[in-house]
Amino acid sequence: MLETVSLSDLTSILSQEQIMIEEENNHPHPLGNGGYITVFPETEEEIQGILQYAGDHGKKITIQGGGTKRGFGGQTEKADILLSLSKYKGIVEHTVGNMTITVKAGTTFQELQTYLAAHRQRVSLDPAWPEYATIGGIINSNESGPKRLGYGSSRDVVIGLRVVYPEGSIIRLGGKVVKNVAGYDMNKLFIGSMGTLAVMSEVILKLRPLAKYESLMLLSFPDGNLEAVRLFATTLLESMMEPVTLELLTPALSEKLTGQRVYTLAMSFEDVESAVHYQEEFVKSISPAQVQLDILPQEKAQAFWDHFYILKPNGALLSTDTKTAATVKIGVTNLDVLHVLKESTLLQDSHNLVVQGHGGLGHGLCQVTLKGASDDILSAIAYLRQFVEQFNGYLIVTHLPYVLRQQVSVWGNPPSYFYLLEGIKAKVDPKRILNDKRFVGGI
Amino acid sequence: MGLKGLKTKDKHIKNLAKIVGDRSILHHKEDLLAYDCDGFTIHKYLPKAVVFPKDTLEVSRLVSYCSDNRLPFLARGAGTGLSGGAIPVNGEVVISLVKMKKLLSVDYENKRAVVEPGFVNLKLTNSISDKGYYYAPDPSSQYCCTIGGNVAENAGGAHCLKYGVTTNHILGLEVVLPNGEIIEIGNNGIPDSPGYDLLGLITGSEGTLGIVTKITVRILKNPEAKQTVLAYFDDVSDGSHAVSDIISAGIVPAALEMMDKTAIEGVESAAFPVGHPRDIKALLLIEVDGIAAGIDEQISQILDVCKNRNVREVKVAQDEAERARWWANRKTGFGAMGAISPDYLVQDGVIPRSRLPEVLNRINQISEESGLRIANIFHAGDGNLHPLVLFDARIPGQTELALSAGSACLQACADVGGTITGEHGVGIEKREEMRFVFTDEEIQAQTDIREVFNPENLLNAGKLFPSPGRCAEVKKERKEAAL
Repeated sequence: MLETVSLSDLTSILSQEQIMIEEENNHPHPLGNGGYITVFPETEEEIQGILQYAGDHGKKITIQGGGTKRGFGGQTEKADILLSLSKYKGIVEHTVGNMTITVKAGTTFQELQTYLAAHRQRVSLDPAWPEYATIGGIINSNESGPKRLGYGSSRDVVIGLRVVYPEGSIIRLGGKVVKNVAGYDMNKLFIGSMGTLAVMSEVILKLRPLAKYESLMLLSFPDGNLEAVRLFATTLLESMMEPVTLELLTPALSEKLTGQRVYTLAMSFEDVESAVHYQEEFVKSISPAQVQLDILPQEKAQAFWDHFYILKPNGALLSTDTKTAATVKIGVTNLDVLHVLKESTLLQDSHNLVVQGHGGLGHGLCQVTLKGASDDILSAIAYLRQFVEQFNGYLIVTHLPYVLRQQVSVWGNPPSYFYLLEGIKAKVDPKRILNDKRFVGGI
Repeated sequence: MGLKGLKTKDKHIKNLAKIVGDRSILHHKEDLLAYDCDGFTIHKYLPKAVVFPKDTLEVSRLVSYCSDNRLPFLARGAGTGLSGGAIPVNGEVVISLVKMKKLLSVDYENKRAVVEPGFVNLKLTNSISDKGYYYAPDPSSQYCCTIGGNVAENAGGAHCLKYGVTTNHILGLEVVLPNGEIIEIGNNGIPDSPGYDLLGLITGSEGTLGIVTKITVRILKNPEAKQTVLAYFDDVSDGSHAVSDIISAGIVPAALEMMDKTAIEGVESAAFPVGHPRDIKALLLIEVDGIAAGIDEQISQILDVCKNRNVREVKVAQDEAERARWWANRKTGFGAMGAISPDYLVQDGVIPRSRLPEVLNRINQISEESGLRIANIFHAGDGNLHPLVLFDARIPGQTELALSAGSACLQACADVGGTITGEHGVGIEKREEMRFVFTDEEIQAQTDIREVFNPENLLNAGKLFPSPGRCAEVKKERKEAAL
């Protein structure tokens, strides 16, 4: 592939060990988003060098962290260069008393949390596959988990970014302090931008103390009566209790996690121990008679979540399953999650799929994984999208093989103000070097 | 509206009046004087006219008219901004949103409310408190500032330590773009709308990207319990260390406020004294809220921390009335400086919390060097300092001296890795200080984004960014390099 990217040009930027050339006879990666040459920069200067090279030579770059989201968006099987940040990692600065940390984008979430736990601190996000997912990837894809109800998402946690613009300049956004209105809140533009604007170099995060105590309450509804779930959830949300999660699991997902194939509500409480137990008692007092209620104390609660986070398809692991897998993220108004999960579950029979889904009754986001034949998956995605649009919601496809992504709209219809999004892309990355066509409307 | 009615030969005034009606436009000089500045009173400029649209459509038509006729324009709420963001430095047509002040809907089940931009911040909490809900962002001016203005400034407040600032509570916006187009962003509160996060970008853009005409906000259930502690210290650094110790103990207080000796002198001389001893060097006002069963444990930890840091006296508010008195004393703190000084200038730097003692020392030094007293009232928990430079504008040269002392305080914040504004905005006041924290390239990255929304720069021009001199040179160099 020397005619595509000149190896000698790259060796002036990187050492040989940092460059990997795709073998001609390799099977293409089923998720696409690859590159003819993969580079592993270890310094910011190297990232700048690669971007400048691409800009000067009209090359396209795909950016990758841990690869967990390789099946998320993108119409390119192989770009000229796959820029992996997996070797660009580590803690840059952490002053314990400030409760902020600066970390390189390629650091995995697990490494970050393990480091912080020693200081009784944490980043209050809960992404899937923490041992693989990098903090840069989590922020670029705006990934969040069930604990978003209690702690918010990347936009509530990121206070500063250091990014490399496509032409190679280093731009700092935000800062190291938790309150900052100097200039535009530029961080927001890059969170969830799918790497289409710049390469994230360093991330500055606001931290929280580790919970003094936590527990998990599992409320299962054996008769599948979602009206009972709604009534319970509204009563809880109307109360002064402070659940950190209020996540409904579909029967198939619940079976994986609890052994019982019934709709299950997973409610976490995190506080000082007395406050957690007090809330458990409250939940018991408002639970309907027919439900089964289990309380998992701290260690078991953590084990439950650890398991929960590794059930979705992981783009970094090549699946041996012969069935196709897809994951969609659906956003609706909070309690409409009930309709979405019910309809998703019905797809098991109507589309002959395995469907595992969960959604937050307090925040309105669902994640549904579908497994089965490709055609059934495509038709289920189209059906679900139409369904959630009735509730003014949206559906995006967060994991799907490359070939199928060409047959489906990953992001749905662009918004009416799409020209503003295009305008932003054109200002920041006029040559469309970075993650071309990975985002809404082909940005 | 206006004392003399619409008597003018100016065709633009006539045409603007056609959009909003003769009674909703001001254009005589004596009527315009009230709009020549906002809460930042050092620089004053007369607007061309002030118009009072009643709905989004009128805003859109006004904006289109201004845009088509190349008239500079800007939006204004209650005019409480402290950095001059609503000052018509280019003789703008001021679009006042005070008539658009309705609470449009409240959805308790989904914890959100929809308001017009002129709706006053505190009125929202007052409108929903009977159901046990409140709106979290609480700038000190909340009894009169508008939520539209809060969005423009990304306003903070005493309780954002735990609950975040305005941007963390905005779920959706209707915006009139500088070309007059009306867009809806944020999908009424459904999170993570696909696309770049314009909601986050527009919030805090100081009215330079568009005019917000409808706002969907998150409302919160009142915490089950709250307790408030007041602690008096004989030494400022003991107080500062207590702040760090509380946070390090893994407590997330709802608020953690500090005042120094000069500030205490001010609040005790003003309308809401509560009997703070005049000879203490610092006080902390600490509030913890949440599940009742967990509060006592946290309060006792806080009391221990204060005792370990040599507190002179520490007490817990005995009832809501006492708590309210302490907060009234704190929240009227800026205005209270009027009791001990003819004029004051408030600054708004932020620092990493661990640098508090050294920055307070530096501010003290700046006070000594300038010969002006500086009072400190601030959100210690998140490192957001509010040095209040006390001066007398009648004495020639003192205004300039105060401005330069204020700027030096911001430099001190920037020097320790902090920033120049935490919640008041840049406006016109801190334009040049933007260079303390950003390079020319970084400033240009921001003005590039402005160009996407506001290409003619007719909307609130001259705000937020330093004069373009050096930026233009960078651009020129880049162009030359490209050739």
